[in-house]
Amino acid sequence: MTRRSGAKSIVATIVTWSVVLATVFPLLWMVITSIKPQQELFTIPPMFWPRSVTLEHYRELLENTPFLKYFGHSLVIASSTTALVLVLGVLGAYSLVRFSYPGRERLALLVLFTYLLPSVVLVLPLYLLMVKVGVANTLLSLVIAYTTFSLPYALWLLRAFMAGTPEDLEWAALVDGASRLGAFFDVVLPQILPGIISTAVFTFIVGWNEYFYALVLVNSDSARPLTTGVMNMLITSFNIEWSLLMAASVMMSLPVIVIFVFLQSHLTRGFAASGVKG
Amino acid sequence: MTTAVLASPAGPRPFSLQRQYALLGMLLIAPTILVFCTVIVYPLITAIYLSLFSIYTPTLQGHWVGLQNFREMFGSAEFWTALRTNVIWTLGTLSLQVVFGVGTALLLNQNIWFRSLARSLILFPYFVSTVVAVLIWRWMLNDVYGIFNHALLQAGVVDMPVDWLGRMPNAMTSIILIGAWKYFPFVVIAVLARLQTIPPQLYEAATIDGAGVWGRFWDVTLPQLREVLVVIVLLRTIWDFKEFDLIYLLTGGGPVTSTQTLPLLVYKQAFGMNSMGTASTYAIGMLLVLLTFMVLYLSRVGRGSEPT
Amino acid sequence: MAGISIAKLCKAFGSVMAVKDLDLEIAEGEFVSLLGPSGCGKTTTLRMLAGLDFPTSGTISIADRVVNDLPPGKRDIAMVFQSYALYPHMTVAQNIAYPLRKRGVPRRERLVKVMDVVRLLQLETLVDRKPRHLSGGQQQRVALGRALVREPRVFLLDEPLSNLDAKLRAHMRAELIELHRRIGKTMVYVTHDQLEAMTMSDRIAVMQSGVLQQFGTPADVYERPANVFVADFIGTPSMTLFEGTLHRQADRLEARIGSLAISLPREHVAWTGGTDTLAIRLGVRAEDVFLGETGEPATVKLVEPTGHENIVLLTIHGMVVTARLAADARLRAGEAVRVGFRTSRLHIFDRDAGTRLNGDGPARVASFRSLQSIGQR
Repeated sequence: MTRRSGAKSIVATIVTWSVVLATVFPLLWMVITSIKPQQELFTIPPMFWPRSVTLEHYRELLENTPFLKYFGHSLVIASSTTALVLVLGVLGAYSLVRFSYPGRERLALLVLFTYLLPSVVLVLPLYLLMVKVGVANTLLSLVIAYTTFSLPYALWLLRAFMAGTPEDLEWAALVDGASRLGAFFDVVLPQILPGIISTAVFTFIVGWNEYFYALVLVNSDSARPLTTGVMNMLITSFNIEWSLLMAASVMMSLPVIVIFVFLQSHLTRGFAASGVKG
Repeated sequence: MTTAVLASPAGPRPFSLQRQYALLGMLLIAPTILVFCTVIVYPLITAIYLSLFSIYTPTLQGHWVGLQNFREMFGSAEFWTALRTNVIWTLGTLSLQVVFGVGTALLLNQNIWFRSLARSLILFPYFVSTVVAVLIWRWMLNDVYGIFNHALLQAGVVDMPVDWLGRMPNAMTSIILIGAWKYFPFVVIAVLARLQTIPPQLYEAATIDGAGVWGRFWDVTLPQLREVLVVIVLLRTIWDFKEFDLIYLLTGGGPVTSTQTLPLLVYKQAFGMNSMGTASTYAIGMLLVLLTFMVLYLSRVGRGSEPT
Repeated sequence: MAGISIAKLCKAFGSVMAVKDLDLEIAEGEFVSLLGPSGCGKTTTLRMLAGLDFPTSGTISIADRVVNDLPPGKRDIAMVFQSYALYPHMTVAQNIAYPLRKRGVPRRERLVKVMDVVRLLQLETLVDRKPRHLSGGQQQRVALGRALVREPRVFLLDEPLSNLDAKLRAHMRAELIELHRRIGKTMVYVTHDQLEAMTMSDRIAVMQSGVLQQFGTPADVYERPANVFVADFIGTPSMTLFEGTLHRQADRLEARIGSLAISLPREHVAWTGGTDTLAIRLGVRAEDVFLGETGEPATVKLVEPTGHENIVLLTIHGMVVTARLAADARLRAGEAVRVGFRTSRLHIFDRDAGTRLNGDGPARVASFRSLQSIGQR
């Protein structure tokens, strides 16, 4: 757009930021609530700004609840899933993009299709499978389950990134004496590094936030991740401990916040590359 | 996409270089295929298989019933109600997502202060966990301590706190609005990426031709957005349709079953009614609805949702 | 024979034959251009030589060894790509060192070899830069360096100069010729620019639609084009071609083009067929057209002064012919002149088949060795 008068810019700024702040408000409210002392929480009418700030809810959360254990579980599950999905996805995407063998096109279509399957269809048989294999109620079962929906999307993303790199670099590497895998590691991988980070970020967040599979596949504290753990922990009691819930919410959102501060561009790049731009 | 430059249509000789490359390619995708078969293909087939049984969930014991489950499903009022509820929820939240998404993208494409910060912040609802989102909203919509009711009471709009999630039509409205809040950033990002590639000369030409703000939007922006929107609508419809977490945690399907969508019904059948066979049947039913939609949608729109 | 041997090479993409039955013998140390318009199969052939594409049938041998099933890295070749294909995340030095790394050359030796090449190509000040900070010409030299450091038997070059501006291109042409003279290795060079091919090659393989049209020295393809396509493709300005008939008479031949009749000695054409009349196409190069006191009447249609000469379009008997005339010929459009052809240099082609009919024999495929022995190299 051509530079218009300052007035138009100011109006646009005000309107846009109103929308942004309205969208973000619930998250702000979450943070504010979590640092209000218990008494201020339940005033009628509710006050907006805290008169005093406290970290007592956080302390309560970390010391007297299994929150930290759940946090650890989520960390392990999300990281393992991300690692597994990246390895499989990178190699698989390379295969789909740069090789030719019978059935390749059909595979690509299949990947697309599975991306759209409702988890509700798959979760029950998955549960039975886990029981049969003997990994029901373990972290491993969740890693396997999360791979179900993360891998298709990762393949889609990585394929798009890889297709965007010029082929002649690999040809040059082949002529220079590299094997096909050697060319891949030396030349292709460094180029799609931003794409890999995008995929990793996406996969991690999705795994971190997953609720439904955790709900069905795990019902023991030995493997519960944060999502089901928090819901379970605090709503089973007679009184809903809103203060703890808000503190837990803030802490649950920490990885997302961290990623946003440092890796935000990778998230948006993932969207653009996944072809949704049409 | 890439052409198959490292292959030839006439069959390769055994042990030829071409054959070697093809084998390597297959090797690289083999682990992925293995995973797919185990955690997607096998469960899918099992789901179909399960739907032919009547199974008691806690013991996983069951007996063959053939197509009985399907017959019951088609005759079940609860199934059709859930389907209808699902459609209402999907249409409602989808339209809001698209309208707010496109509108916000247009705003974020303007020259505003701290634009990149605004663009980052708008993504938060999408990437925050559904659990967190639900907790926050339930806190805000709380009838006694919630800030929403307080604001409304203060403004004099109502004189009694509103029960947002416990009665109809509030419950459906609430989940539609919260769903829109949670997922509209997806539309924003995709549309914004496309908006940034529209050449400004198109707008300039339209202005010279006398088009006003609305005219420029209608005649320049929208046609350019058509392709993105086709893909967005497809993806979001499917994802909204199969949404479980948000509705389950906000209303649990209630009051009674008025916000019970198909995914919730499946869950209830499996773990509430302990009838895993029936649950599987309903899940297959849901899959068929989605497939039908996809086929109809794609044939009407005239192109597949191919990745770039 | 150590060199490149291509036998009955075919490449099909679906139902399209990109390369048809190609037979080519390239001697060791020879500079051969694969020349032709886009889509003629020259790049496909080069890629098959490199091992980046697979033949549908036929064999490729390098140094008497069939290489069809060898991966590119084992064929003892190096390739310079049109886009240079420099590794963007590596510095110039790392780019050039890469082939040696892949071969397992120890670090110290690597450094020495890389610096040798760097000095040869005058890249000393650029060794630590990444490709995106280099100009086109610099990138091209790095690509050359990466190829040189391998000390291969064969160099393959895929239109390496086409991304450079005209002046730089001329300069790099000279450098490449000099390089070839210095290292004396076989070079196969793909180009669509006939001037490049003519100035650089020992021999040129002219291709069209996947078929080899002629394989000969620059002099061969210029003076004795094997068919109409080669005649038209080689030479700037293009040869003027007329359609007409050739009549065999008692002691001479007469070529009739429109209302123009040209008398030719009987030996001019190697006569085919039993009849006394042949349908032909007659070609005359611009430099074989001259103005004089006598000759056929013609009018000047258009004059294009290029500085060192005039390219003039003349209308003669209702047909247009291109002539190359001296710069000081003062001519104006519409002027009446008298035109003659150097009849000994006229090219006669069969009208339907397009093949050359001149009596000085079919276009000779001179061998590289014989050229060397004559000292004509």
